[in-house]
Amino acid sequence: MNLSRRMLLHAGLMSGAALAVAPRVFAEETMPDWHIGYETAPAAGFGPAPMRLISGKVPAGLTGTLYRNGPAHFKHGDAYATHWFDGDGMMQRINITDGKAVHTGRYIDTQKRRLEMAANKFLAPGFGTVGDPSFPVSSSDDVNPGNISALMSGGELLALWEAGSAYRLDPVTLETKGLKSWRPDLKGMPFLAHPKRDPDGRVWNLAISGRRIGIYNINPDGTTKDFGMVDIGASHYIHDWTMTDRKVIILCQPWIQTKNMPPFIDGFVWKPEEGMKYLIADKDDLTKTRWAQGPARAFYHTGAAWEESDGTIRLDAAFYPEPVLGSGGGAAEIRGKVSGDQASSKLTMVVIPPPKNGTSGDAKMVETNIAGDFPQVDPRRNGLSRKLTAMVTGSVVNQPGGSALALQDWSSGEAQIYDFGSKYMVEEHLFIPKPGGTSEKDSWLIGTAINTRAQRSEVWAFDVANIEGGPVAVWQADYAWPLGFHGTWANA
Amino acid sequence: MKVSSLFAGALSALGIAPAVLLAAALVYPQAASAEETAAKLTLTVTNIAEHKGALMIAVYDAAGYDKDAQVAAGMVPVSGDTATTTFDLPPGQYGIKLFHDVDGDGKMGMNPFGMPTEPFAFSNSAPAQFGPAKWDAAKFDVAAPATSHTIKFN
Repeated sequence: MNLSRRMLLHAGLMSGAALAVAPRVFAEETMPDWHIGYETAPAAGFGPAPMRLISGKVPAGLTGTLYRNGPAHFKHGDAYATHWFDGDGMMQRINITDGKAVHTGRYIDTQKRRLEMAANKFLAPGFGTVGDPSFPVSSSDDVNPGNISALMSGGELLALWEAGSAYRLDPVTLETKGLKSWRPDLKGMPFLAHPKRDPDGRVWNLAISGRRIGIYNINPDGTTKDFGMVDIGASHYIHDWTMTDRKVIILCQPWIQTKNMPPFIDGFVWKPEEGMKYLIADKDDLTKTRWAQGPARAFYHTGAAWEESDGTIRLDAAFYPEPVLGSGGGAAEIRGKVSGDQASSKLTMVVIPPPKNGTSGDAKMVETNIAGDFPQVDPRRNGLSRKLTAMVTGSVVNQPGGSALALQDWSSGEAQIYDFGSKYMVEEHLFIPKPGGTSEKDSWLIGTAINTRAQRSEVWAFDVANIEGGPVAVWQADYAWPLGFHGTWANA
Repeated sequence: MKVSSLFAGALSALGIAPAVLLAAALVYPQAASAEETAAKLTLTVTNIAEHKGALMIAVYDAAGYDKDAQVAAGMVPVSGDTATTTFDLPPGQYGIKLFHDVDGDGKMGMNPFGMPTEPFAFSNSAPAQFGPAKWDAAKFDVAAPATSHTIKFN
């Protein structure tokens, strides 16, 4: 009796289990269409492969190369990456010459990737990954996936992470040449993923180690002019920063490190009662600093900043009410689920009053209703007064990422929006100055988007003077490459 | 991301105290008194990237390894892919920490965050793990009359 009941129960459970398991067994075939942005790219990379012009006419003078970086490997065997930010970096290169676009993609050849590919396992500790205790770590470059951004410097293409060295890449073949050392005594120093370029070509960037911040001053030819240090008093999470023509501005969000073990982001605690602090240092003399403060905000990305004649500093950024993409960020999306981690940002202008008695007082916040991220400005105006900020906006229910582009005009307070529609995931778009033009509107916006219906990646170009009029040109690849983070443009 | 600070903190304590090491090398050119039971350790270091400068080598016993209290030390000029030296030691278990003083300034180069800028290695070619290789990974036996050991830079 008991036995037969148990057998029945067992049989019932088994059939129930089989039903429950079935969809998971076939999960690869039932992934939502947007999951194409989180699928592991081929080990050999992509291309070079021509892209097809599917819309518009390529403007004369639009010649150059868009480089974009982002994580592209999310699965070893049956195991998924536990954080989006820890996937191996892949550099995408889209060269546009004579109206024709050609795409190439190559993984950054890192120590982490070599060891994990050989073992077919995730091993390295990381931003959101515990890692295998046996993984040898003698420096942060042993776990450096090189997966956030790109910079052209001194004829070299650099793939950037934020807690380790930049990787040097061949700008045409994308072959990894090794780690970048800016000076013999700076070997192994971290190089943040958000360097800033003055309009004259000088590059500034940060190196973060807890409360100690190094500041790089790189000549337009790629040689290192100077490296100095400032102390921000506590270990804030710093992914980006900003600058005027004469000042470095370090935004110290109240997301503060309280322990120092992998996964690294789990050591950070949100302390909104501490507000946001702004360290302002003179580019010419880093010992000359002052502080300002404002309401607590979390952020990943700034637009840019400028200083007015009375010393008022204005900067814009995509500010969130609290941190997003912390522990486990993107892990659900990698598995084809939407995490619901959807705290909404606002494109915000911060107005820091002029210095008075050595401090700057309270920053004022001018908030827009534009939710999104990846703010960008005209590179000819980086650090100078300007009107325009472009960023990714829009959202689609049950789909990660943005679906539109916004162009905020701070002089009028009005924004233009172009909606790509629900079958797109829109990525960062960069300002490309038109040859011979000088105003911010004499620019194109160029970026990538994944067409989820077609399951293909596309490159879109807009005229900044009229983004609501739609793209001037769209090229489509025969395939999709994974969503990326940031890019750079080279006029060759 | 504070990966860097973790590693910087751990590695600034890498344990090869260069000034101390150099002093030891000068005062005790072949260190440890050669007793009747002495064993000759022949140490070969391979895969040296830059063919200049010198290897700065410190030998520890179990008690001294974590404290950087070496029982022998040596400085070996580098002129090729490999370099070899010998130590006379009482038979026993030892661990080695070494670095390649590429620029010949007698110090292990450090960047502003305290990370080594010159190559380093440990006996058994044991990997660094958030700091120096652990004694258990680096220890090896030196037996009379002679023992050979090879360390490879990675």
